[in-house]
Amino acid sequence: MLTFIKKITLVTIVSVSMIACTKNESSVVAPLTANVVKDLAADTVLGIASNGMPYSAGKYTFYSLENNAIVPNTDSATTKWDVAFVSTKILINGGTSGTGMGGAFVYTGLFDDLKTIPTDSVFKTDNAPASYAITYGSGKGWYTYDQATSLVTPLAGRVLVIRTASGKYAKIEIINYYKGGVTLPVTASDADKLSKQRYYTFRYIFQPNGTKTF
Amino acid sequence: MRVLNDTIQWQGDSVVVTATRSERKLSNLTVPVTIINAKAIQQTGSIRLTDILKEQPGLTMTSGFGAGVQLQGLNPDYTIILINGEPLVGRTAGVLDLNRVALGNVKKIEIVKGPSSSLYGSEAMAGVINIITDQSTQVPIQVSARYGTYQTKDMSVDHALNSKHLFYQGFYNYYNTDGFSIRPNSSSRVTTPITRYTTNQQFKYLLNESTNILLGVRYTNEQIQNDISVSNGGVTIHSNGTENMHDYNVTASLNHRFSNSLKTSFRSYLTQYDSKQDLLTLSGQPYIDLLNHLFQRIENQTDWIVQKNITAIFGAGSVMEGVKSSRYDSEQLRKTNSIHYAFTQWEWLPNAKTTLIGGARFDENATFASAFSPKLSLLYKINANHKLKLSIGQGFKAPDFRQLYLDFTNAAAGGYSVFGSAQAQQVINELNGIGQIGVLYDNFYQLKKLQPEYSTGIHIAWDIEPNATTFLSLQLFRNDIKNLIEVQQVGAYTTGAQIFSYLNIGRAFTTGAEFEFKKQINNQFSINGGYQLVITGDKDQIAQIKAGTVYTRDASGNSRRLTMSDYVGLPNNSRHKAQLKFNYITKNGLFANLRFLYRSKWAVNNTNGNQVFDNGDSFANGYVSIHSSFGKNFNNGWGFQLGCDNISNYIDASNLPNLPGRTFFITMKYQLNHKK
Repeated sequence: MLTFIKKITLVTIVSVSMIACTKNESSVVAPLTANVVKDLAADTVLGIASNGMPYSAGKYTFYSLENNAIVPNTDSATTKWDVAFVSTKILINGGTSGTGMGGAFVYTGLFDDLKTIPTDSVFKTDNAPASYAITYGSGKGWYTYDQATSLVTPLAGRVLVIRTASGKYAKIEIINYYKGGVTLPVTASDADKLSKQRYYTFRYIFQPNGTKTF
Repeated sequence: MRVLNDTIQWQGDSVVVTATRSERKLSNLTVPVTIINAKAIQQTGSIRLTDILKEQPGLTMTSGFGAGVQLQGLNPDYTIILINGEPLVGRTAGVLDLNRVALGNVKKIEIVKGPSSSLYGSEAMAGVINIITDQSTQVPIQVSARYGTYQTKDMSVDHALNSKHLFYQGFYNYYNTDGFSIRPNSSSRVTTPITRYTTNQQFKYLLNESTNILLGVRYTNEQIQNDISVSNGGVTIHSNGTENMHDYNVTASLNHRFSNSLKTSFRSYLTQYDSKQDLLTLSGQPYIDLLNHLFQRIENQTDWIVQKNITAIFGAGSVMEGVKSSRYDSEQLRKTNSIHYAFTQWEWLPNAKTTLIGGARFDENATFASAFSPKLSLLYKINANHKLKLSIGQGFKAPDFRQLYLDFTNAAAGGYSVFGSAQAQQVINELNGIGQIGVLYDNFYQLKKLQPEYSTGIHIAWDIEPNATTFLSLQLFRNDIKNLIEVQQVGAYTTGAQIFSYLNIGRAFTTGAEFEFKKQINNQFSINGGYQLVITGDKDQIAQIKAGTVYTRDASGNSRRLTMSDYVGLPNNSRHKAQLKFNYITKNGLFANLRFLYRSKWAVNNTNGNQVFDNGDSFANGYVSIHSSFGKNFNNGWGFQLGCDNISNYIDASNLPNLPGRTFFITMKYQLNHKK
């Protein structure tokens, strides 16, 4: 009996909301879908120097979440980019890193569960080299580095909540750090572990309307 | 009564000392005990302690920092290793390398599972392994020589002398192997060339009919040629050099029997473990690692038969212990601890079917909190074929020197540091003062004096002997562990390198079941085997999983909540183990055996970084290893044996560095004045 009443209530609500939709077409917002970026190179390793240390070009990869595109390095001093990647470090266009309104924090929880950015959230800004909005270091922000296996693993259940250069909001989940989107096996060669790292696979949702709801 | 042959595994009604610190028949024990006799050691071709322990039910060999033994799911730190009742010292990262112990003159090995701190104090939390040397003087001389794969040579000489009052027994062993390299440039020690010498000298002098003096000296020297590689961030640093280890054990005891119902024993024991790792990196940088552990103990134990069915034991002693290590702030300064302890045990046989034993021990510790360890156990003989054993006890492990005083910075692997809890705050505050500390976590401020780790264990065993040729045993166990001392990151340097220390934070459990059977098919053939189930878990992690705050990834790489069905428990733990052994032995000295050992998969690495071991992490594959040997002991004193270990050539270089591929050996021995 109770179930029956519940069903009726549900049907009623659904019908009412459908009616509401048909009445006011202009308020219908297409649901936001996640963009997936694959194998975004972030200052990949070029080789091993004579002192045995790996070296790279030392260049950031700038990315616009709004346009879902890489921004050329020549535009690094503009507000065209939102996030920048260099090995495991992620910069936000704001604070010491850029001229934008960018800020961020790392949210613990599931990407899909984060429907609205909590009102009491504190967006941090980059304050290099002392601190970064996306905390830098193994186990502190979005990844762990295992000394024994030399592998970087993005932490599950971490969402990078971003205020973009233009002051809008986005959420990012880093999925993988290795080329092809699959972490190398522990037994992979040192050469592979070096040459195939620093390739980001991530998914994100950018909210263009300026609200904190996805 | 029993018509069985003395076969490879059949225990018969042996006398056991470890379970009660006094001689008791196996059939009258209230706790489960495994006995490995000299025949089993010889017929399996075991020459080091690891060889024989890896075939025992409920025991698993581990491979970090030498070969340690895991008992009922608990790490090597929690099992005390005794030789004739006296503890071996010299653990690296909690692991005592059991390859140190030569088995040449071992009469038997007794394994007691479950907390036994009520008799043995710290470390006897998971159980006790007591190696009992042969003190009989019936064989004047025995020589054996063995040669095997990887140019492994093992030679032993036993000799004995006796007069009316003096008995002497000597043992010498030489072991040398070229090592094997299933993994080139491995950091594992076993893959390197090793030479070991062991000698054991035992004297017994009878002052009169009721008084004797025992003196024992054991010395082991181990030399390892090292070729180590450390890999960090894709950069591999090679180094080479030597490791040299000396292990001295000296015991003296005075034993006196006042009457048939009262005897006492004064024992003193001194042991020193000294190891030096002297490496030269390819860049020419020397790396020297020293460890010196000194342990001295005096003890009295008095056994009193109060009345016909009540026996009491009283004991008390003092320990002085000290460690010097280059991993502490100063390798010259010995860190010390002293312990004073007392124990008692009461055994009561209210009727012919029942034995009840209660015991307790109190350890007063100079550096750490004191510990109280009670234990209660019961044997009930339901009838001639069924026996029920029940025991409940508390075990503890005192924080070790490493957890208090370690001061280690690994320059070779990223510059991370580990500081013992006794001085972590002071050292880190000093570093902070000179601006080297980047960040300190909340747990840094929670660092305090370490408490012992505690375990409460319950064991139930049901032994069934349906007939004279069959034995079955079913055991259930549960250990609840609290106060576990764990390494945790407490901060980081400005360079980002991690800083670790030790905290009493963990809560865990191990629980499971063990099944064993033995069947004598006929006068020559017997089969025995077993199966063990071990389930482990970290209680705090389980609480987090249930609260939905632990995450993993689905097949597409997106995060999801971890569920209990993903959880696998503690790392390096196989859920299933099994053994099956076929034995053949004839009256004229011929013997042969075939042994199958199975271990299911175990978690080795938290690859998904969620701090919890789950199905998304990396595992070592389960495997079966097969071993066989046969030989003959002739009536004229000569004997030979041929054997093959790991017949199916199972190799897992990264997870089982101690397991070489298929190996063969041949042993010849000669025994003067053999008995027959």
